[in-house]
Amino acid sequence: MRHAPVGMACLALLLPSCGGSGSQRSEITVLAAASLTGAFTKIGADFEQSNPDVTVRFSFGPSDGLATQILEGAPADVFAPASPKYMDQVRSDGPGVTDQAEFARNTLAVIVPSDNPAHVGTLDDLARPGVKLVLAAVGVPAGDYAREILANAGIQKGTLANVVSNEEDVKGVVQKVLLGEADAGIIYRTDVTPDISARVREISIPDGVNVIATYPIAVMNGSDRAPAAEAFVRFVTGPGQATLRTFGFLPPS
Amino acid sequence: MSLVVDVEARRGHFTVAAAFEAAAGETVALLGPNGAGKSTLVATLAGIHPPAGGRVDLDGRTLDDVVTGRHVPPERRQVGVVFQDRLLFPHLSAIENVAFPLRALGVARREARSRAADLLARLGLAQRADARPADLSGGEAQRVALARALIREPRLLLLDEPLAALDVRARTHVRALVRRELIGFAGVRLLVTHDPVEAMNLADRMVLVEDGRVTQIGTPGEVRAAPRTPYAAELVGTNLFTGRLERLEAGAGRLVTSEGDVVVAWPPGIDGALEPVIGLLRPADVSLHVRPPEGASARNVLAGTVTSVRVEGERARVRIDASPPVVADVTLGSVERLGIREGIRLWASFKAVEVRVQAI
Amino acid sequence: MAGPKRTTPGVFVVLAILGIAFVTLPLAGLIQRTPWSRAADVLTSDSSLTALRLSIVVATSAAVVSLVLGFPLAWVLSRSSFPGRRVVRGLVILPLVMPPVVGGVALLAVFGRRGFLGAPLNEVFGVQLTFTTPAAVLAAAFVSFPLAVLALEAGLRSLDTRLEDAAATLGGSRWYVLRWVTLPMLAPQIAAGLVLCWARALGEFGATITFAGNLQGRTQTLPLAVFERLQTDPDGAIALSLLLVAVSLAVIVGLRGRFLAAR
Repeated sequence: MRHAPVGMACLALLLPSCGGSGSQRSEITVLAAASLTGAFTKIGADFEQSNPDVTVRFSFGPSDGLATQILEGAPADVFAPASPKYMDQVRSDGPGVTDQAEFARNTLAVIVPSDNPAHVGTLDDLARPGVKLVLAAVGVPAGDYAREILANAGIQKGTLANVVSNEEDVKGVVQKVLLGEADAGIIYRTDVTPDISARVREISIPDGVNVIATYPIAVMNGSDRAPAAEAFVRFVTGPGQATLRTFGFLPPS
Repeated sequence: MSLVVDVEARRGHFTVAAAFEAAAGETVALLGPNGAGKSTLVATLAGIHPPAGGRVDLDGRTLDDVVTGRHVPPERRQVGVVFQDRLLFPHLSAIENVAFPLRALGVARREARSRAADLLARLGLAQRADARPADLSGGEAQRVALARALIREPRLLLLDEPLAALDVRARTHVRALVRRELIGFAGVRLLVTHDPVEAMNLADRMVLVEDGRVTQIGTPGEVRAAPRTPYAAELVGTNLFTGRLERLEAGAGRLVTSEGDVVVAWPPGIDGALEPVIGLLRPADVSLHVRPPEGASARNVLAGTVTSVRVEGERARVRIDASPPVVADVTLGSVERLGIREGIRLWASFKAVEVRVQAI
Repeated sequence: MAGPKRTTPGVFVVLAILGIAFVTLPLAGLIQRTPWSRAADVLTSDSSLTALRLSIVVATSAAVVSLVLGFPLAWVLSRSSFPGRRVVRGLVILPLVMPPVVGGVALLAVFGRRGFLGAPLNEVFGVQLTFTTPAAVLAAAFVSFPLAVLALEAGLRSLDTRLEDAAATLGGSRWYVLRWVTLPMLAPQIAAGLVLCWARALGEFGATITFAGNLQGRTQTLPLAVFERLQTDPDGAIALSLLLVAVSLAVIVGLRGRFLAAR
């Protein structure tokens, strides 16, 4: 009789996994770039409201890491990286995709802590010796874009010498600037969300050197929730656009 | 050079108070049963356990004075201690152990080693200089501990039960060595022991400690002649009764003790009843009978059971649990003839005049 | 004639085998998946060698710091009785039970540019700890410190203090006794503590990446390098992981064997 509670607990743990097949609800897994965290969370909630029989589960992270996960066999129904490069990788080296569409664009900006300890006013100031600059790591789209911008501006040498940390995703860069540890960071404009805008100062990057990031979205081949996944993709390119706009994303070209 | 002690040391709920003096070149034995407080006194004199009261002076220098708060730490006392458990440093060899006090003083390594080697050789341990304490025999370890305590030529040498852990053969050998070293040692020596033979053998004077108090101080001869407590009496191998003396009849009195009464010859110089008094009875004056003796002139006939029979050479010391208990010395022949062994019932008899009574 | 020996109960043998499997199977998995053809390239690459070198420097420094800081505390905990001793001992264990990332955040709160110690440090001396190699050492030392205190305290408790008393009567001052009696007798526990701290420091990730950041050559230790490589090249990351395991094993087995044998 003493074993009864233990038995009940085991049974309770097993139940969720028994629930899936045969029920009406389907669950889709969406792997999305870290920069989409705010926007996609809202879009997901809206989508679930208009599609009550679907649950959306998100996994946000650096696009390179997410692509690798998919190649390693992680279950994913939808993939939305911050660069076409990783969609291509998944398409050629991985399971392949269908219904690929470009759904948003983004540009980058420099942020500094609100007290601006290093007195950074322009992009060129980042090359000043002693400025503690944080970027996303090489391979992470935000990191690659940032380096492209610095190359475009011709200040690569000075700025790369100022890099004190390569963060695993763009949110890490935001964090270091918010904490006041970094003097400056290069992130997406959309990362300056309302709740942090009071604590950081945004410095715009001249259009001539800035990069436009294009965000593709697609359904993974072999997903067994294809209808729901396709519905989600259509939602993102349709009703979800308004949400993307409020979060600061540019419309697809 | 001399040691003047008048202290009270406390360990938990136990207090030991002792006052005595020892002169340079004199070996004083601190003698007492286990738990009497001897080791506590050693720790206090060594400086490890500060006293709760009183003072200690060595060669005119105050080592401890509770009133003024003065306490000289052990490393500055110039005291050499041979501990009961030896406490040799396990990670050092014998010669390194002996050299330790010199190295602590700042003596150069080579000189310290050479002096240690000399001392070890004098104690017959030249071959064992590089051995670790774990590999030494009991007697060897004891000698290393002695060398380690002596090498700095301390002013006070404390030997805490130096022979207790040794077997009989090693004990004799080491005792002779200790004797020889003590002869050459110029400072004060304090030997702590519970073995009366050791004390009588090595000491010039004895301080008896029982239950935290000093009960007698004197030379072995003085203590043997006039032991003051049952313990002292047992040490020197005699019977001791203590209690109240009452008149019994002409020339005789009764010594009333808590364990029984003894008829004694009335001692001179005492008028009426007196308390407390001591009655001493030599074990050799006690006769043993397997049946109650009849018509004997002995006024004391006590019945009891034999609790122990200890053979010492050609004699046997028999303990009888009577009222009061007595110890008798008989020949081995008697033991065999009467079939004396533990547990049998015997009668012990002795004359009133054989009990020597004195006021305390 | 020797009688039958007491054998180990069968159940224990089975469970012991399971226990061994528990720790060796993941290792076997790593070895099996390592891309041996590419492994040499990965392991000799600039980033890998830099990370290895940095890891060894950081782990060694952190272990030394932990032991040096931990010894006085272990002494106080084992030898003096003061009110709140149990609380202090509980606090010392804290970094062990804290998630390392939380530890990193805590270190930022104290030593970060806006931290209550880091802010004055920055204003007065112009020094910022974050993003430096010393920060990586600090993060690693923070998580391995409890191990040093635990090992040393256990060692101090097991010492026979009468030997230290004896040394005093032989003329040893407190420092002399500490140097020539106490510490030599503690050598096995000090070695054990050193090995434990080193191993823990070598594997530290969460606190390092949060407090020190991630920069090749300055703060990217092996675990951080593995994590970064995992995003794009999992097989290469496995090869690098194997290197981390191999280095740890070599040091642990080498040192422990030596000091256990001396007992």
